[in-house]
Amino acid sequence: MSTRLLSASAPFILTVLVFLALAIALFIGLGQPPLQTLAALVQFAVGDSYSLSQTLAKTGPILLCALAAAVPGRLGLISVGAEGQLHAGAIAGTAIVLLAPTWPAPVLLPLMLLCAAAGGALYGYVPGLLRARLDVNETIVTLLMNYVSVLLVAALVFGPWRDPASQGWPATMQFPPAAVLPALPGSRIHLGLLLGVIAALALHVYFNHSRWADKVRILAGNRKVGETFGLSFGFWVIVLMSVGGALAGLAGISEVSAIQGRLQQSISLGYGLTGFLVSWLSRHQPLIILPVSLCVGGLVAGSDALQMFAKVPAASAVILQGLLFAAALAVPGLLARWRNAS
Amino acid sequence: MPDSLVQFEGVTRRFGDLVAVDNASLDIRAGEVLAILGENGAGKSTLMKMLYGLYPASAGEILIHDAPDKINGPADAMRAGIGMVFQHFSLLPALSVRDNLLLSWPRTPFWKSRRNTDTADVLATLAELAPHIDPDCPVGSLSVGEQQLVELCKVLNIDARLVILDEPTSVLTPDEAERLHGFIKQLAGRGVAVALITHKLADVEACADRIVVMRRGRVVDIAERGARSITETVALMMGQSVERKLQRPPVLEKIVPRLVLENLSARRPEMALQNVSLSIAAGEIVGVAGVAGNGQALLAEVVAGVEPLTGGDVLLDGVSIARHNPYDAVATPLGYIPEQPRDNGVVGTMTLARNLALRELAQGNRPPVTGRDLLFRFNVNPPDPMKTAGTLSGGNIQKLVSARELGGQRQAVLACYPTMGLDLAAIEMVYAAMFAQAAAGAAVLWISEDLDDLLAGCHRIAVMREGQLVALLDNSSTLTREVVGAHMIGLTETEAAA
Repeated sequence: MSTRLLSASAPFILTVLVFLALAIALFIGLGQPPLQTLAALVQFAVGDSYSLSQTLAKTGPILLCALAAAVPGRLGLISVGAEGQLHAGAIAGTAIVLLAPTWPAPVLLPLMLLCAAAGGALYGYVPGLLRARLDVNETIVTLLMNYVSVLLVAALVFGPWRDPASQGWPATMQFPPAAVLPALPGSRIHLGLLLGVIAALALHVYFNHSRWADKVRILAGNRKVGETFGLSFGFWVIVLMSVGGALAGLAGISEVSAIQGRLQQSISLGYGLTGFLVSWLSRHQPLIILPVSLCVGGLVAGSDALQMFAKVPAASAVILQGLLFAAALAVPGLLARWRNAS
Repeated sequence: MPDSLVQFEGVTRRFGDLVAVDNASLDIRAGEVLAILGENGAGKSTLMKMLYGLYPASAGEILIHDAPDKINGPADAMRAGIGMVFQHFSLLPALSVRDNLLLSWPRTPFWKSRRNTDTADVLATLAELAPHIDPDCPVGSLSVGEQQLVELCKVLNIDARLVILDEPTSVLTPDEAERLHGFIKQLAGRGVAVALITHKLADVEACADRIVVMRRGRVVDIAERGARSITETVALMMGQSVERKLQRPPVLEKIVPRLVLENLSARRPEMALQNVSLSIAAGEIVGVAGVAGNGQALLAEVVAGVEPLTGGDVLLDGVSIARHNPYDAVATPLGYIPEQPRDNGVVGTMTLARNLALRELAQGNRPPVTGRDLLFRFNVNPPDPMKTAGTLSGGNIQKLVSARELGGQRQAVLACYPTMGLDLAAIEMVYAAMFAQAAAGAAVLWISEDLDDLLAGCHRIAVMREGQLVALLDNSSTLTREVVGAHMIGLTETEAAA
């Protein structure tokens, strides 16, 4: 074992240790036996096939939302719009199912995914266009547009799209079997996760090994130089924002179709923001986003189950996520500082 | 000298290899206006910034009367009664004039209120200097000239014995400049010493008591007002020719227009280009002279298709190469060496090899494999293609950009200050590459502040002032730096000859 490998993995190991220490402190604060609770958390995340299936079900949307932030992030853009794009995709995908619920699966499924991607893409296109043409800050626009589409979902399921048969429950009708994404039998591992993995691999190849990879890299490194050599910053802003939006839109329809079975409120457990953090932790590198999404998916699934079975409050799931991100952001920086000082 | 307030003794300041100020000795006396005159980069600002404590001197001493302590920063300087007004103001536009003055006032109390008697003191100078400015008005809504007055008040409020003004009239209208000259004389009358950094002879004429001329880091002359004619002063500023082994380019046998600027107009904040027309023939080298900040940067970016134009066109062999619409992107066919290549010419996060191949990579093509040869040919240090460009020194980045732009044959070359920060050997190497381009038929547009080099290497010299081409001179043997210099600073030829 070389010392170089050791020193390269030191930030990672230390991050995990700091996170565990913080989690233990949290459990003590909550009056729970810390080690047992921690063990339960791991058990609920990866302990059996059901837990594993839950973890992977959470990994899918986190992965897609992380990619949605990473794609514009490659150009140096800060998009926090995955949450809104996820809901926009859910609305657009649901619309086609409500319009043509009787169509056969081979037509309806691709059409539904396409519409969802288009809906999400449109939701990324708008802030992209505003940035490209009017230099409006994309972070603010994506943040504000999140509220619009989340509330639009509420408006639709309380209003025109409410299923009359649901006896007042704010949701659309149940999706017909032809509109449900195929999943591994007996599990919640569905096509959405596969799409996310394929997208991550494809983006990795595109951004690192394709002939066009350097276009975005040049513009991100020095916009003026890029423009001197004929690259249009505005064009790439619009393209990358739209592609990112499309990926988040796929996450939205996957949740609706495969997990919930109908469009309703709270289809997302804050996947947009979680994905954003995953993307920034992974420095917008798709190959790093893959494992990080899995870890965070496990944490989300595990702490979700923990609040049901152990005596910890519901908010502790979010707190645990916060502790993980805080540790992951702070530890490498502090470590670098100590090394410089010594 | 009894009344000397500040004395520079053999002060030198180096930045890496560059000697910005070289063994400068002079004194500043109470109650006088000392003009420090020189071209851009002559070391005027650096000299004064050392006095203000922004840079320590590399060698030599700065003695300040009645202030035995060493000046380690602007705070020390202010305590010693030295204040400086910079070219770029340090005002907070959103705050009122009063708050801006209070912020920099050493005696500002912990809390402030309109009834606070102390805060009235802070406005006393303002009332005297500029009674028309409302102290409750946000600074952002004032004109540039008014902002400068506020900045001046800040300095006067620290009871300055010496006020340094860095190019104070460069942003002012003629009326405002005239008023400022009046204030400066008033200040001197009250016994305050004023050091006025400028490259405008008008400032010197209006209010200087003594004139220091600096060139290339050296103090070349100190004279009382009126002791030198304008011509002598200009000659001192521009200096004598330096020996550079530049071959005068061969006379063109036939004129075939290659790079043509037709009535170019463009605009960006604080600078407008108006009706610039110029035709450069194949094989011809046309120099653009001018005091920095007179539109050369904008001209270069418009010709290179980086900045969109608002009127006219740029044609290369009859084909437009300009950016007509801000949403378009144009890949420039020119060999283009931008000014400040670290910011404008390289991608700092990418390797040298990739930076040499930006043209190809931006088009999605495979990069050529000539990287290492080019690095050696242009003497880039280290010649390691896998090194990240951002880690190179300024001079090596300049060479890197030259290697990319001049390494292969171009139809036309646009070079902005292509030798900035280079040593003598590298300068000659870059010039050789540029002249070789012309010899092979490229049209060369060469923007420079170095009149000696332009006179040695150009067929024609265009002079830019305030966004316009004010003169286009054939570089015959009778053309002198004084004539070009006079055009640069806006003197007519008869005045310059006087």
